[in-house]
Amino acid sequence: MEILVCIKQVPDDSVEIFLNENTQKPDLEKVTPVVNAFDTYALEMAVRLKEAAGGEVTVLSVGDDSVKNSLKNCMAVGADHAYLCKLDDYNETDTFTIAQSLKESKEEIEKQTGKTFDIIFCGKESTDFASAQVGPVLAEMMDIPVITGIVDIEEKDGGVETRQETEEGYHVISCQGLCLVTVNKPKYDPRYPTIKSKMAARKKAIDELDTAKAGVTVLHTEKVYTPAKRSAGVKIQAESAEEAVAQAMDLMKKAKVF
Amino acid sequence: MKLTNVKDYMVYVELADGAPVNASLEILTRVSRLAPKSGEQVTAVIIGQNVSEGAQTAIAAGADKVICVEKEISQLEEYVQILTAIGKKYQPRVFFFPATQMGKDLVPVLSYKFDTASITDVTDIVEKAEGFDYVCSSYNGNILNEISYEAGFPQIVSVKSSSFKKELDSSRTGEIISEDIPVDRSLIKTELKETVKEIAEAVNLEEAQVVVAGGRGMGSKENFELVKELADVCKGVVGATRPAIESEWISRAHQVGQSGKTVAPKLYIACGISGATQHISGMSGSGYIVAINKDEDAPIFDIADVGIVGDAVKVIPLLIEAIKKEKAQ
Ligand SMILES: Cc1cc2nc3c(=O)[nH]c(=O)nc-3n(C[C@H](O)[C@H](O)[C@H](O)COP(=O)(O)OP(=O)(O)OC[C@H]3O[C@@H](n4cnc5c(N)ncnc54)[C@H](O)[C@@H]3O)c2cc1C
Repeated sequence: MEILVCIKQVPDDSVEIFLNENTQKPDLEKVTPVVNAFDTYALEMAVRLKEAAGGEVTVLSVGDDSVKNSLKNCMAVGADHAYLCKLDDYNETDTFTIAQSLKESKEEIEKQTGKTFDIIFCGKESTDFASAQVGPVLAEMMDIPVITGIVDIEEKDGGVETRQETEEGYHVISCQGLCLVTVNKPKYDPRYPTIKSKMAARKKAIDELDTAKAGVTVLHTEKVYTPAKRSAGVKIQAESAEEAVAQAMDLMKKAKVF
Repeated sequence: MKLTNVKDYMVYVELADGAPVNASLEILTRVSRLAPKSGEQVTAVIIGQNVSEGAQTAIAAGADKVICVEKEISQLEEYVQILTAIGKKYQPRVFFFPATQMGKDLVPVLSYKFDTASITDVTDIVEKAEGFDYVCSSYNGNILNEISYEAGFPQIVSVKSSSFKKELDSSRTGEIISEDIPVDRSLIKTELKETVKEIAEAVNLEEAQVVVAGGRGMGSKENFELVKELADVCKGVVGATRPAIESEWISRAHQVGQSGKTVAPKLYIACGISGATQHISGMSGSGYIVAINKDEDAPIFDIADVGIVGDAVKVIPLLIEAIKKEKAQ
């Protein structure tokens, strides 16, 4: 199975990111760029599918030169090939530009390598803007079906069978032919690279594409601001649990929370 | 396909077990307040079986008209076909969706179909001289963005639940319109083979007045029972962090946070929860926050009204007794 995984580089989501009031931009200084968490789940699921069904995994990202490092990291955890569609300011670009650029890049990769992809993986959403749009829009642009928020996939009867998480349980959805899936957090965690796999990834090439294609601007950001912050209340550090609970109860009664 | 003759506000009313989801009703109430000023009407769209009761609820929440499509469908592609047809016919100026899983899937697809862009997880609507701006967040709620549309583009947005208050007025009246829209099954390329219901209980976190949530710090499934007991005593609903769910101490219907539910109860008690942004973004709108954590530097204390530094396993049973006593008085 020929698998394409689309990834986005985002600021490390385990770090709290706030607005820099001077620049009116998120303060990303000292924040390490990482592969979007949901894309790491998508990559892990794709690599497991490859291991079960054969074929290769290609990763693709739209971004600037710094994204090469993230692409190398993907190759250290199971991706066979990596492509970067060059676009500076990719984080301030709209969904349609990103989706259009991914579509053009996919077609260019197919032209260059002579292979055709059987399935496209995206993360369900990115951890920075979390708009959950790129996957469905890309599928719509390519006129192929999309199955969102999957937590499992296997090859079946020449197509795929997926498990889509729902509010109450799950759907089993199958598809024959090219489709796009977006991935939610599965039961397992993505694998870690080994020293050996990291060394091997470092030697592999990342192919650059100039397939970025801007879409029409429909949305404008009028204002960026910080939400009203809650302030910390009383922290009780008492000698005993009994004492702490007594103090907490007093405060809660005063606040009439019951 | 571009919509050129747009008017009115349309709200997609999603049904869950036959009843409209709260997020849709909240949008209806909010939008019904905005509409008269701009001379627009509010139209609800309902798709499903036996929708008449849902249609009445939509009217009570603020709809002037309800378009009913009596049809049992379950796949995204089917919803897309029907809603595209309705969009073409009625040409809404703004098409609102609840930011449910289905809503969030529909919005980007429809925005592409109608040559426009969409906004996900809107939490506020700002009235402007001409139309609206929409507020949504980035970086786990730490940054808010107010977004406007370029003139001439239809607006398609999903609204996060609990962003507005729903108000039902059963004396309101409205028009019901039946639409029979065929679905072309030959265009559907996926097959829904099975629908499995794993989570039997109805977990209504979003409307709970009290939420008692437990995290990894509870340590074990047995200890997590204490969280449930405390919730019982407070007549509240149990919430949980992702690690607690991944440890299978409780079903994922209870997850609070970025990839779970957003809650705003009067009282939120966090037990053994560190306070990661992905969790806080789902509960920082709570009225009063109590946190129990053994680490005095845990970030949850930064937003708690009352923080108890201590072992949750020791503190909770005492708290249960104290609250029982308080309630008995
Ligand atoms: C893409 C993505 C989406 C996510 N979405 C969500 C989401 O929707 N909801 C969510 O909750 N998380 C989410 N997470 C996970 C999130 O980042 C944190 O890992 C998680 O919230 C931490 O849960 P926790 O507080 O239970 O565990 P920990 O961070 O491990 O904290 C446990 C706390 O318990 C305390 N503790 C330990 N023992 C005791 C004791 N005996 N008594 C009292 N306190 C004790 C510790 O001091 C510690 O503060 C997401 C992560 C990612 C990457």
